[in-house]
Amino acid sequence: MAQPKTAVVRSDLDIVIARTMARDLAKAMSFGAIDQARIATAVSELARNIFLYAGTGKVTVKEIDKGGRKGIEIVCEDQGPGIPDVDLVMQDGYSTSRGMGMGLPGARRLMDEFELKSQEGVGTKITCRKWKSS
Amino acid sequence: MDSLRIPILKIGDILIASIQVSLHDASAVQFKDDLLQKIYDTRARGVIIDLTALDVVDSFIGRLIADIAAMAGLMGTRVVLTGLQPAVAITLVELGLELPRVLTALNLEKGLSMMQRLTEESDDGPA
Repeated sequence: MAQPKTAVVRSDLDIVIARTMARDLAKAMSFGAIDQARIATAVSELARNIFLYAGTGKVTVKEIDKGGRKGIEIVCEDQGPGIPDVDLVMQDGYSTSRGMGMGLPGARRLMDEFELKSQEGVGTKITCRKWKSS
Repeated sequence: MDSLRIPILKIGDILIASIQVSLHDASAVQFKDDLLQKIYDTRARGVIIDLTALDVVDSFIGRLIADIAAMAGLMGTRVVLTGLQPAVAITLVELGLELPRVLTALNLEKGLSMMQRLTEESDDGPA
């Protein structure tokens, strides 16, 4: 299994780098073209959230295996301000001034599993996974 | 860092921009500004934005394209989006960005004939 790969996000260029890294792994794992696009788009949304709201953070992608089923896991972490009301930001259309209200719920729809942990003043960690259809 | 510029070609009174590389946010915003200025400078009546080469269109780029279409519309110019890959169409709808007010065509050729029809129709109206 390939080593996990990490991209540091601190500018809008890094958003492209992070999503290309995720797509390359998805492609190497033989995900179909549509799932590759879903994974790359989800990473783009999550990396942009890091850039907009935390300033810096990192995105890690890795191959996972659960009882023989292969998948890709994406972890996005930042030490930003955190999210006071997680339920609120997961609502479609909710947005602060700079976002457009579809980043987090949109990314959740594109992936199979989505977990968000956030603590005000400490940071945010999002873990999401997409499984290969066997 | 300088943002990357997307070339905008003029054929008759139509502008064509083909986005060939993955855009980062700053170059996408630069493209919007360049395109609107070029519409104004050339008095273009239509703009075709071809996305055949893009394999990811996230909510930022999707929203920006919808904004460009709305802004060009305010200036009296039609925008047709062409060449969306199936995977891009699927992820846009799953994201919740259906771009309801943006005209689209399957490919550049169909986009051009659509644009010709649109600009001919507007010929019948008052100048």
